[in-house]
Amino acid sequence: MNPEYAIEVHDVKKKFRIFYDKGNDLKDRILFRNRNHYEDRWVLKGISFRVRKGEAIGLIGHNGCGKSTTLKLLTKILYPDSGTIEMTGRVSSLIELGAGFHPDMTGRENIYTNASIFGLTKKEIDKRLQEIINFSELEDFIDNPVRTYSSGMYMRLAFSVAINVDANILLIDEILAVGDANFQKKCFDKLREIKAHGTTIVIVSHALGQIEQICETSYWIENGLIKQSGTPKTVHDNYLKSMEIKRTEQLEKQHEQEQNQEIKNSASVIQKLPDFCEKTAIRMGTQEIIFTDVQLRNLQNQKQYIFDTQEKIKIFLQYKSNKTNLKGNFGYGIFREDGLHCYGTNIMIETGECIPIREQGELEIIFQNHLLPARYFLDIAVHSHDGVIFDDIRQVVSFVISSDKQDIGVCRLESNFSWR
Amino acid sequence: MMINLCKELYAYREMIFSLVKKDLRGRYKGSVLGFLWTFINPLFQLIIYTIAFSFILPSAIEKYYLYLFVALIPWIFFSSSLQGGANSVMASQNLVSKIYFPREVLPIAYVTSCFVNMLFTFIIIFLVVACSGVSINFIAILCLPIIMLIEYMIALGLALLFSAITVFFRDMEHILSIITMAWIYMTPVLYPLETISNVKIQKLFYLNPMTSVIIAYRDILYYAKIPDFPTLLIAFGFGIASLILGEFVFSKLKKRFAEVM
Repeated sequence: MNPEYAIEVHDVKKKFRIFYDKGNDLKDRILFRNRNHYEDRWVLKGISFRVRKGEAIGLIGHNGCGKSTTLKLLTKILYPDSGTIEMTGRVSSLIELGAGFHPDMTGRENIYTNASIFGLTKKEIDKRLQEIINFSELEDFIDNPVRTYSSGMYMRLAFSVAINVDANILLIDEILAVGDANFQKKCFDKLREIKAHGTTIVIVSHALGQIEQICETSYWIENGLIKQSGTPKTVHDNYLKSMEIKRTEQLEKQHEQEQNQEIKNSASVIQKLPDFCEKTAIRMGTQEIIFTDVQLRNLQNQKQYIFDTQEKIKIFLQYKSNKTNLKGNFGYGIFREDGLHCYGTNIMIETGECIPIREQGELEIIFQNHLLPARYFLDIAVHSHDGVIFDDIRQVVSFVISSDKQDIGVCRLESNFSWR
Repeated sequence: MMINLCKELYAYREMIFSLVKKDLRGRYKGSVLGFLWTFINPLFQLIIYTIAFSFILPSAIEKYYLYLFVALIPWIFFSSSLQGGANSVMASQNLVSKIYFPREVLPIAYVTSCFVNMLFTFIIIFLVVACSGVSINFIAILCLPIIMLIEYMIALGLALLFSAITVFFRDMEHILSIITMAWIYMTPVLYPLETISNVKIQKLFYLNPMTSVIIAYRDILYYAKIPDFPTLLIAFGFGIASLILGEFVFSKLKKRFAEVM
């Protein structure tokens, strides 16, 4: 093994035997011999990577892609069916925090038990004891039984032990969600510190931001193979894009189902809403002008429910009226799912005049979207110039905004950072 | 391979200590007399045997209570190591499936805690031997650690073997409890081997690793004589064989422990 590397994984494959109906005892095995059908599921189909000493890598992928199995192989809880894993130095894992904690023993006693499971001798634990206690911020409680601890305190103690083992290789599975924000920051700083001391780190996480902050390389695992590796930012962008496509597909499907459901349900609604409305829509007005269709479209004029934060959105309206001498003030409003009023305007505000109403007419409103990912409702209304409501439909359609950018808030404020 | 394992186990010695400590402390946790039970329990056992075999069921063997006691305490160590040890890996499945450590630690810690428990009980044995007026042969007493060590090896080997098997075959635990029940009658614990009149069958008894061990204990503590060298040698042979077999099977099976838990 090249001394430059701390971990070398070569073409590792791992299968799990899935029993359809496993008989564990003698009776089951003999009586139901033919029931012992099983299927080999290959969780890892040939994974190879190398980690330099002092390097930090992240393993990402959706649930069940094999990233946790990879970590378990590195921990030597599981063993590969083929391929080799070579590692140098002491390995510590932050996979199971608080392993072997005994609720009736004090925090201090549990430090000894827990640290001993990581292979530390009494002398080594003595040396680290104070640091562990300090880090956990549990000075006042350290001689109380662990069962009296809150779950946050419990995790803090466990994390403090695991991180103070002084391993050469540290394996972490999704555990940086320990304690309050303050303690999380402390954990993160500690991770950076031990990395600076030359510890090799492997992180499995869904918190891509954390990986980007600490790792040099990210491995995207999909269906038991490494799909892409490289700088975290690049890999994560591709990963998020692919996740987004999947999610969008699912949303579309869901939306279709909802629409179908609505059609079925609408028959039972007393005041029947037209098909283009959400079933939660509320309609009011004098009905001198009525909307006959409301759609959201993209600029290619295709009906659409999922838009990107940056996308231009077209509201397409059709109406009819039994009077032709009216003038109408058309307007719309957008509410977030939780009721936040995001935006609203009408044609009076925009152009200063109402438009003449015809027997049948169409209207298009195109707006530049800045809203951030969430589910939204569109309200639509047509009033007279002095405020008589002809038709007003609240929550007429819903739509979803998605984005692969991680900014937060209500809407995107295009930001440019410059520095000197 | 073997050397690596020994090195690793040495590195994890603190884990073994802390498991043994936890086990010994946990055994009488919450009881008023606590650790004293380690002594009270065998003491009363002895008193009951003394009464039983003096008045209710008198035995032809002189000081039968002592005759029985010096064999029974080692036997209890063996049988509890076997039964509890077989369950030791399963009992810690939350550790085994989540964290790495040499899996051998678990049966070793269990058998060791039974062993330490036996050592404490030996304080009572020595007291009784001293009080009962049986002569004490100090050179023979020096052989005691040897036979204890041999018994430890046999018990550990079997604990390794059965703890690994139990993970994949849960019935083993219950089968073992029946085996140990029968095993005590295949070992001269309750009766002298000479009770078996057929010499050929007597020889067969020596195939049982515990026969030589129990005979040696009794030689030292009851007859106050140095055990025969062949007896010790046979026992030692069994100890080595048991360890090798146990670790061989254990090392083959341990890699798949986490998968079936």
